[in-house]
Amino acid sequence: MSAAAELVIQDLRKVFFPRTVNEVMALKDVSLRVAPGDFITIIGSNGSGKSTLLNTIAGTLPATSGTLILDGQDITKLSEHRRAKFIGRVFQDPRAGTAPSMSIQENMAMAYLRGRRRGLGPGVPRRIKSRMRERLAELDMGLEDRLTSQVNKLSGGQRQAMSLLMATVAEPRMLLLDEHTAALDPKVAATIMELTGKIVNDSHMTTMMVTHNMEIALQWGNRLIMMHAGRIILDLAKEQKALLTVPDLVNKFHEASGETLAIDSMLLE
Amino acid sequence: MVQTVLLSALQQGLLYGFMVLGVYLTFRVLDFPDLTVDGSLALGGAVTAIIITSGGSPWLATVAGTASGLAAGYATGLLHLLLKSGDSNFTNYGPKLLAGILLMTSLYTVNLRVMHGSNIPLLRKETVFDQLSHWFGKSMTGWWVVLVLVVLMLLVKFVLDWFLHTEVGLAMQATGDNEQMLRSLGVNTNVVRVLALGLANALVALSGSLVAQFQGFADVGMGIGTIVAGLAGVIIGEVLFGVRSVRWVLFSVIGGSIVYRLLIAVSLRLGIAPTDLKLFTAVLVVVALALPTVRKKVIRT
Repeated sequence: MSAAAELVIQDLRKVFFPRTVNEVMALKDVSLRVAPGDFITIIGSNGSGKSTLLNTIAGTLPATSGTLILDGQDITKLSEHRRAKFIGRVFQDPRAGTAPSMSIQENMAMAYLRGRRRGLGPGVPRRIKSRMRERLAELDMGLEDRLTSQVNKLSGGQRQAMSLLMATVAEPRMLLLDEHTAALDPKVAATIMELTGKIVNDSHMTTMMVTHNMEIALQWGNRLIMMHAGRIILDLAKEQKALLTVPDLVNKFHEASGETLAIDSMLLE
Repeated sequence: MVQTVLLSALQQGLLYGFMVLGVYLTFRVLDFPDLTVDGSLALGGAVTAIIITSGGSPWLATVAGTASGLAAGYATGLLHLLLKSGDSNFTNYGPKLLAGILLMTSLYTVNLRVMHGSNIPLLRKETVFDQLSHWFGKSMTGWWVVLVLVVLMLLVKFVLDWFLHTEVGLAMQATGDNEQMLRSLGVNTNVVRVLALGLANALVALSGSLVAQFQGFADVGMGIGTIVAGLAGVIIGEVLFGVRSVRWVLFSVIGGSIVYRLLIAVSLRLGIAPTDLKLFTAVLVVVALALPTVRKKVIRT
């Protein structure tokens, strides 16, 4: 089992299109301490900065200012692929997490090499095939018998399940999930969410999960964060979260943001 | 007559087959339409010719010609990184096309400099084909050339098969397939792309080197239209022989290269002027590209 990471975010700021008329401050000096083993769900309206927060942590976007400390190491200036050694990710689009024209076993084999130097050894070594099959069998989708199938032959749900596995097989210390069930139909989304819960539970990986769905945000994780206009406006611990319902959360939002929320879309999901 | 046409198509198809493998690597595996190839093919020929005429070993000349393509590919890769980071208004393909165009243009000058002129004849100079003639006691003409080229081609093909399925090779495939995913798995896709461009252009330059030695001269214009001829080989091969796996498709595009040269040879016989060949090739690419779509439409109606 990998050690779960502690992430300390200090005054993190992200400005898009600086010094132009389109300048937007997407993150306004966000500070947050993510404890080892935390499973944080993050909600907020569109443009609140939740995806930007994950992208800045992962290094896809460089921070404008502020620092990111992962287990005592300053990773603020580290490039995305170097941070990937510690951080696994799953994206909203099921196509984003897998290489479509390559086979299931090739995709999995690449995931096992997370953060390691790639040499001239066989891309899919025989010794990892049984391990691979075991992990795929846990998905209960029959993928373990289709190792040489191209990934683009799989359904969205199957691909997202594989993305989840690929993000976690090499046991990174942290997992970032960016609305990873939003593009799936409700039944499949529920399956993927169950799977996510199981993997996070088994590995105790520190996890941050962005979601549009308040129900899911309340049901999963040990901590809930609400973002609005580039700031964290609410940070609830497990005990406080357990007592809340979706309408409570909406009211909390009104109080904290001081605005009437265009909430219908969030409620309907 | 049929035999001469077939023979020349096989010779040309195999000689340029390495180049088609290179274009397949960039265009399909890497998703990088690399225009450097026009320059790197001539570069391979130029470097080889200058070494042979200065009295160097033809084998050394061939290796050096190939290595010059490697360097040209690396240069394209590095320039692409510079262009990509410099201007965020570019779309995905903008920096790729521009890097290739700039290298292709620069290489024209480089090739003139290397050759101290626009043309180097290799007549009465010892080429790899002459050396093979001595070794085997057979004149390297006709079907013997085809045999030698087939052996070399199979060797390159199987090495490429192996390489594309190593850890690095899979990373190359994934760079073209889903770069963002590969980065999120901790791979520096920028480095992988530069390596792959080098490999692809080395193959292109190998073609240039062999073509120059076979035809008996290197010329600064010998690379013009390489990208279109390469695409023709790739697309004809894919359409005719299929794409079921990487190992298979490497055979397909070599086949495509031969079929393409066959089409050229036949059309010359049928009276198409050599000056019209480039347009003919471009039309061929369009037709081959449209074929799968047309076939689907016909089946549906």
